[in-house]
Amino acid sequence: MSAIHLQHLVKKFGDFTALKTMDLAIADGEFMALLGPSGCGKSTTMNMIAGMEEPTGGKILFGERDMAGVPMGRRGVGFVFQNYAIFTHMTVRQNLAYGPKMRGAAKPEIDRRVGAIAEMLQLTSLLGRKADRLSVNILQRVAIGRSAIMEPAIFLLDEPLSNVDAAFRAIMRTELKQLQRQFRQTMVYVTHDQLEAMTMADRIAVMDHGVLQQVGSPLEVYNNPANVFVARFIGAPGMNLLRGRPAESDRGLVIDLGPLGVTPPLPAAITAAVRSAQGDVLYGFRPEQATLVEGGQGLSLPVTFVERIGARTIVHLGQGETAVKAVFDNDVGLAIGQTAVVAPAVQSVRVFDAATGLALRAG
Amino acid sequence: MEAVQAKPTLRDEGAKLGFRLTLPAQILVLFIAVFPLLMQLYISLTDWSPLSGTGWWNAWSMWNNFANYTDLAVDARFWSALKRTAIVMIVCVPVEFLLGLALATLFADEFPGKRIFYSILLMPMMVVPAVAGYMFFMLFQSGGPVNDILSSISSFPVTIAWLSDPTLALIAVMVADIWQWTPLMFLILLAGLVGVPEDQIKAATLLGANSWQRFVTIVLPKMKTIIIIALAIRVIENFKIFDTLYIMTGGGPGVATETISVYIYKLTTQDLIWGYVAAIALAILIVLSIAAVFAMKRMARAREVPA
Repeated sequence: MSAIHLQHLVKKFGDFTALKTMDLAIADGEFMALLGPSGCGKSTTMNMIAGMEEPTGGKILFGERDMAGVPMGRRGVGFVFQNYAIFTHMTVRQNLAYGPKMRGAAKPEIDRRVGAIAEMLQLTSLLGRKADRLSVNILQRVAIGRSAIMEPAIFLLDEPLSNVDAAFRAIMRTELKQLQRQFRQTMVYVTHDQLEAMTMADRIAVMDHGVLQQVGSPLEVYNNPANVFVARFIGAPGMNLLRGRPAESDRGLVIDLGPLGVTPPLPAAITAAVRSAQGDVLYGFRPEQATLVEGGQGLSLPVTFVERIGARTIVHLGQGETAVKAVFDNDVGLAIGQTAVVAPAVQSVRVFDAATGLALRAG
Repeated sequence: MEAVQAKPTLRDEGAKLGFRLTLPAQILVLFIAVFPLLMQLYISLTDWSPLSGTGWWNAWSMWNNFANYTDLAVDARFWSALKRTAIVMIVCVPVEFLLGLALATLFADEFPGKRIFYSILLMPMMVVPAVAGYMFFMLFQSGGPVNDILSSISSFPVTIAWLSDPTLALIAVMVADIWQWTPLMFLILLAGLVGVPEDQIKAATLLGANSWQRFVTIVLPKMKTIIIIALAIRVIENFKIFDTLYIMTGGGPGVATETISVYIYKLTTQDLIWGYVAAIALAILIVLSIAAVFAMKRMARAREVPA
């Protein structure tokens, strides 16, 4: 009933195409994150779902119902704004009561619903407070409560954590996820922060330049990026990509990386796809999947920079075309200028077509 | 003198130096602001007039035991002028406010030709009030354009003597004031309207509020401070209404359009009883000050809830 279907959705602002033919099915009760850099069309998509923008082409269905021409006040959509858009001239109670009141609910009915929602969001003691001097996590709860009181089938959240400092963000991520479990609504969450998307979403829709790049569970998107953009965008730092050519060796199919030598054999699952590739390919592996090898087989590169961030150490190796990052759980005794040999874990290697940017994989 | 003196702190020193450095300016301000007021108070207690043949500083010899103030209390012409001023204000300010608000609401959205209309709308405000007075003086002549328009609408000749009829003259004067000052109201209110956070309006829409509900529950409360400012400006300005009115009617016919300012002007230039004028001016200043304090208090209260 509250599933969302986007069918061939297009949005143009004059000559600028903000969204190029988007197809996406969001299941009932699903937490879907729209993830991408600024200007990728994620907010435009969200605004069209909410009815703030009219699509240039395509359809938006809520369940079976076409939303074309349905004004935003009648879509039954809860929307949490980036800055929460709390009515600062009202009390918390008035904010929560706003929706039912505007729809003409009776006073006892409003009081009952406000009481219930305040209870659920632990806002009961704050009901009498003016909304202009509340801390962000309370504002967020008021914003959610104000929408939730309308019992919307769909909840849209537009980068609700982007104004919050890092420590608070961690708390609020958990809080949001718990709230979603309580409400069991379909949630669409727009963010440019992959950590938020990865930790909260059931599935992530990665977008760039108005094009949907990949839809999948957080781990699927992380482990099997569909293309070079997703590979680079997901993960911190993103996937290492090195240009090379497939070559046969006595150990199986490898990639000839030119001056960097030859890679270890590729995982069996992708050899067929790589073998049939035309031209150059990009050899990709996650920085977290690299290990230091002493004198063994691997990529031999000079250390250019070492970032030590407590729990992890990020080692930058090589430059330009051959730049590689490796992430280690512990500090490693490497200094700038030294040469290190890193080897990617074989099963984690992904290969992309250098021309199209698409992943080369079976099927 | 004192055996034990607290050592002056750096802060005290700074304050002292600051006081000394700003002293000349402070004296100047004091002279500009306070001196005329004291002079007025002094003269208002005497029968002094420029015809007395002595300087104003000698006015003490004409001390009249508050006679100016007791006269004022029973001066029917003063009270009727005050009442008329109040009527003009009670009609003009709300009309200007409502028209200004309606126009501001209109201009908050985009429409073709907006910039041109915007410029046209602001023009009356830039017309010198005396010139506006002449314009309306001519418009409201019995053979003037206003009657011409009424004639063509009603299709029989209209020759209303607008400025000679006591009631119609007052209406004509109010029309001129509304024409000239609605743009100011519009400008201030538009600034306030544009400042209303768009997200909150969208949020209200998503929660099911219709446009009227949004206007009443979100837009107006957010504009409270600016509305009070706009009203205060116009109330104070309108109370002093003079140039346009004086050129249109001279306060006439009879005293039918005589407001406080016109009355004071006549007393000053025709009757030359300056002691009495000073008493009236002072009385009005006190009334306006009370109104201003009241408005500012309201504003401070409105600002406790920032937009």
